[in-house]
Amino acid sequence: MPDGSYAHPQQRQFNPYTENGGTILAIAGADFTVIAGDTRQSEGYSIQTRYAPKVFRLTDRAVLAVNGFAADGNMFVKKVKQRLEWYRHAHAKDMPLRAIARLIQTMLYAQRFFPYYVYNILGGIEEDGSGAVYSFDPVGSYEREACRAAGAAQSLVQPFLDNQIYFKNQQLPPGQTRPLHLSLSDVLSIVIDSFTSATERHIEVGDGLEIYVVLAKGRGPQGLEAVRGAQELTTNAEGDRVFIVRRELKKD
Amino acid sequence: MSIMEYNGGSVIAMVGKNCVAIASDLRLGVQSLGIASNFQKIFPVTDRIFVGLPGLATDVTTLHEQFRYRVNMYTIKEEREIEPETFAALVSSTLYERRFGPYFIEPVIAGMQRTPSGSYKPFIAATDLIGCLNFAKDFVVAGTASDKLFGVAEGLWEEDLGPEDLFETISQTMLNAVDRDTNSGWGVVVHLLTKDKVITRTLKGRMD
Repeated sequence: MPDGSYAHPQQRQFNPYTENGGTILAIAGADFTVIAGDTRQSEGYSIQTRYAPKVFRLTDRAVLAVNGFAADGNMFVKKVKQRLEWYRHAHAKDMPLRAIARLIQTMLYAQRFFPYYVYNILGGIEEDGSGAVYSFDPVGSYEREACRAAGAAQSLVQPFLDNQIYFKNQQLPPGQTRPLHLSLSDVLSIVIDSFTSATERHIEVGDGLEIYVVLAKGRGPQGLEAVRGAQELTTNAEGDRVFIVRRELKKD
Repeated sequence: MSIMEYNGGSVIAMVGKNCVAIASDLRLGVQSLGIASNFQKIFPVTDRIFVGLPGLATDVTTLHEQFRYRVNMYTIKEEREIEPETFAALVSSTLYERRFGPYFIEPVIAGMQRTPSGSYKPFIAATDLIGCLNFAKDFVVAGTASDKLFGVAEGLWEEDLGPEDLFETISQTMLNAVDRDTNSGWGVVVHLLTKDKVITRTLKGRMD
């Protein structure tokens, strides 16, 4: 009986983690990268807010998407941004993308025995001007890829991306070849379709969509000028450039 | 692990313009161990009805026999073939009979329904393991890869697909979904039904 005495053994438990739903996604092109996430934040069957960003601009060439436990995610982004600021003060330049990726691994593994309960996807432009996506597990194991989905609707979106980005299970007629990289407008269409599909079938996905587009230095905004409401976030227009595109998703 | 995922396997059915398609994988496994790559989960009921039975393999066989028996009894009594919608009701009541000790199967039904005017219209339906019917207008999915099937189908499917386009859509949906599921795969079979013929194609897929 829990009567406050020490006559019986008692047990107490505190779970420091929750899962806040939502989905993130990133696709790399030849000289651009698209990083997107929905803005719904939920706990169980309740919606906490319809606008909680999961995708963050780190530098003019790096964007980080975080999904899982929102409190950990926000804290982690805050600490990554802090480390990048220190790097700027020490070296008078922005940290390269592959270095940010390694930094994130180190920061995640530092918490190996009390992890940030977060899946990270880092997208941006590499020093050689190529589009890149890095995906991480909660303890820092990472890999550079062409595309990745994570979060509540990963199981819905990833096989769709396998088909539409990697052209898995698609054979070309003999003699025909496929373009090595997709165009920005094609990638944006696939991203929006992925999120509308996930919204339709997953209760934790919806409300709003934020799409970040990172363009390599010297690349014109081909495919972006036709996009409604694209807004530039770049601080230095001479280097790589960052844009954001916002879309509504169904709210039911 | 849940008994519904013990043997693995997935089924999907889609509606097209004057046609329907139903597809399944061919794997039979025991959890992560693969046993056979020729395990049929889709069975013909009449010339224009197919039923897919993903779930516990022992119940696939039992339910297939049960449905065959009941459809034969219906045909003899009524002196006519059963219609897809009627068959769906038969599936539902057969499963609900075992409400408190269910068969671990989530059936998917696809067929061409005869209309009063004598023409045929596509029909699909699915139920849960105790027979709750879902008549969808677009597509239905079931099995261990159901969430993947939902995601890909929602992205690829569109209204009024002709037979060949529907075949391509359901094939791509199935192949890409099972490639991301450890408990489904090892080959795919697709049945394409139109008012006057059935085309069955076995697809080559990843064998890992």
